[in-house]
Amino acid sequence: MRKVLLLALVAVVVAGAVIASGCAQTPKDATAPTDTSTPGSTEETPQFTTLESGKLIVASDCDYPPFIAMEGEQPTGFEYELLQAIGKEMGLTIEYLSPQNFDTILAGVDQGTKMDIGVSSFTITPERTELVDFCDPYFDSNQACVAMKDSGYSAAKDVDGKKVGSQSGTTGSEWVKENLPNATLVEYTQTSDALAALQAGKIEAAFFDEPVAAEQVKKTYTDATIIEAIPTGEQYGFAVSKKNPGLTAAVNNALKAVVENGSYNEIFQKYFDFEPTMGK
Amino acid sequence: MSASIRPISASRASRFVVLAASSLLTAALFLSVAPGTLGALTTEKTTARSNQSNGNAVIGGQPTRVTWEGRVADNEQVKALSLNLPKGSRTAGDDTVNVTVLDGLARLNVEARVVLTDERVAITFAQPVPSGMLLRIEMHDFSLPAKAGDYEMGGSYTDGAGATYDLAAPPNPIRVTGLTTVEAIINWLDRQGWVKAWNSVPFLRIFLNPQMAVAAIPTLFIGWLRSCGLVLVGFPLAIPIGLGVSFLRMAKARWIRFVSGIFVNVIRGTPLFLQIYVVFFGLPALGIRVPEYLLGILVLAVNSSAYLAEIFRAGIQSIPRGQMEAARSLGMTTPTAMFFVIIPQTVRRVIPTATSEFILLYKDTALLAAVGVMEMMMFGKSLVANTGNMTPYIIAACYYLVVTMPLARVISSFERKLAVSEGGA
Repeated sequence: MRKVLLLALVAVVVAGAVIASGCAQTPKDATAPTDTSTPGSTEETPQFTTLESGKLIVASDCDYPPFIAMEGEQPTGFEYELLQAIGKEMGLTIEYLSPQNFDTILAGVDQGTKMDIGVSSFTITPERTELVDFCDPYFDSNQACVAMKDSGYSAAKDVDGKKVGSQSGTTGSEWVKENLPNATLVEYTQTSDALAALQAGKIEAAFFDEPVAAEQVKKTYTDATIIEAIPTGEQYGFAVSKKNPGLTAAVNNALKAVVENGSYNEIFQKYFDFEPTMGK
Repeated sequence: MSASIRPISASRASRFVVLAASSLLTAALFLSVAPGTLGALTTEKTTARSNQSNGNAVIGGQPTRVTWEGRVADNEQVKALSLNLPKGSRTAGDDTVNVTVLDGLARLNVEARVVLTDERVAITFAQPVPSGMLLRIEMHDFSLPAKAGDYEMGGSYTDGAGATYDLAAPPNPIRVTGLTTVEAIINWLDRQGWVKAWNSVPFLRIFLNPQMAVAAIPTLFIGWLRSCGLVLVGFPLAIPIGLGVSFLRMAKARWIRFVSGIFVNVIRGTPLFLQIYVVFFGLPALGIRVPEYLLGILVLAVNSSAYLAEIFRAGIQSIPRGQMEAARSLGMTTPTAMFFVIIPQTVRRVIPTATSEFILLYKDTALLAAVGVMEMMMFGKSLVANTGNMTPYIIAACYYLVVTMPLARVISSFERKLAVSEGGA
């Protein structure tokens, strides 16, 4: 038995080392600073580095319409277009990684070896701010409780004590844990899994961000509806490694420029039928 | 907690306001009006974020985030707000307070001056908060009292006219749990020098974090039991199904061989992950409701039966034809010969491969996490999601190995014995 335990321990360490070496592949240009100062700009451009020079590598779960979704292998959505505009401003090409699990993106950003920036509708929270830096907010959001139209529920508190779903690692999960203590929470990797489970009757209600809920019940899950929009006033921010404050500052400058030159508003109007709170 | 409404002070207010307020108080006392119904501000809720490493409880004496929400009544305004924090709370300074004002779903920008002490939080708005607004005060790095119990937060507010009223506590207090053994061990680890040194190495902190390991071990143990349950019920179910299918595969009738062949090849030729998705989202679409855990067992059993069918068929066919002929010549019927002569000889030969199949199936229970079956991987995932630390996965790996490594040894010893006996025969 002791031999077995010893073997198990060795296996764990080896497995850990293998995983770590897989994650820790250092990109070639990791230290090469990318000069992005545009000629004629009077504002001082913060110095920053990206993993690959000339590129901004983005991690997203790519399953959060209208913010981000995959059309075949091509990401689309509000965040995608906003990043294109920001990339243009910074002189960087935006490169999306293949869809990542939402609940692992912030840890990946913290490690800073695979992605420059995490853009997946992250609400800025004090807990997350301990792990990563957030750029300035780019969207005001809220939570929503989604149930089937024929469920008979009319408010989030009706499902306290029932089985409900959310996406793992989201503020929706946190809201349920804090506000519906008697509910059994099932956390799915993706929101579409939670919605499929809702349709299949495996859960009574699903909780996620209101703009996404509104889009999903309008376009895809038409037999479901938002039974309660929960005002939380949370704000989305891009996540950047704490080791790269220059990038945070540069993205903030670019975001400000994109808001000021009107492209933010233009992209916003394409995806939402209400007025943005930013840039006013 | 008092539910009455009484004026505390009336700065810059006329005698009349004080008088009006006192008569209001008298009315409230006599009519015993429900808390806040007469006020300009009604508390809607107070909650605290769970700060338990492996559960959803709010533990006292540990930093958490406390949220208070209240709504400004119609035709009223609120200029200032003060909340009395539970006695024994520890707070971390003014900048740990977030004040949010929401008009419906729209977030409003408000200027507010915040003063936070261990006793109370006082908020003064630059502009009075207009009627109908939802007011949210969030305080992070907030330690509730260490003693278990229900805690309420009453307070007072100043309305648009400048009069101050008591604020009734909300209907649901915050339930605080005392320190659990796990949290006590984690706190102790937090203070150790070697833990700090260990965690200063990024690899060790992320993959082999001692505090996270302590939090994960008890939680994942429950997950481990559930994973074992899945396979310990699923695999025995798969054995008779697999045996039945193996007979069909060897049937005389060609169409039976054909149909059973399709079953085996479809199951073995498609990923289990895909089968799980089809069953978990397909069956309910047909209106068939099966509890998730049971459905998980069934998918695993059917999947494994196809592999076992081939293992059994190979085992049965490996027994020399002469055995069956000899048994038949002794007057046994074919089924009797099968059950009492052929199968007993087969058992020994299939045990190693069937055990490998058991190991595979046990590891595959992890796939069920994707469809929300609460098994070990799912427990690990939610721990990782909450902390951003990979240690729970490593602990889960240990729990898988605890079963698979001894079984692997069993297989090799069986194979050795088999080689000796067969070689000797």
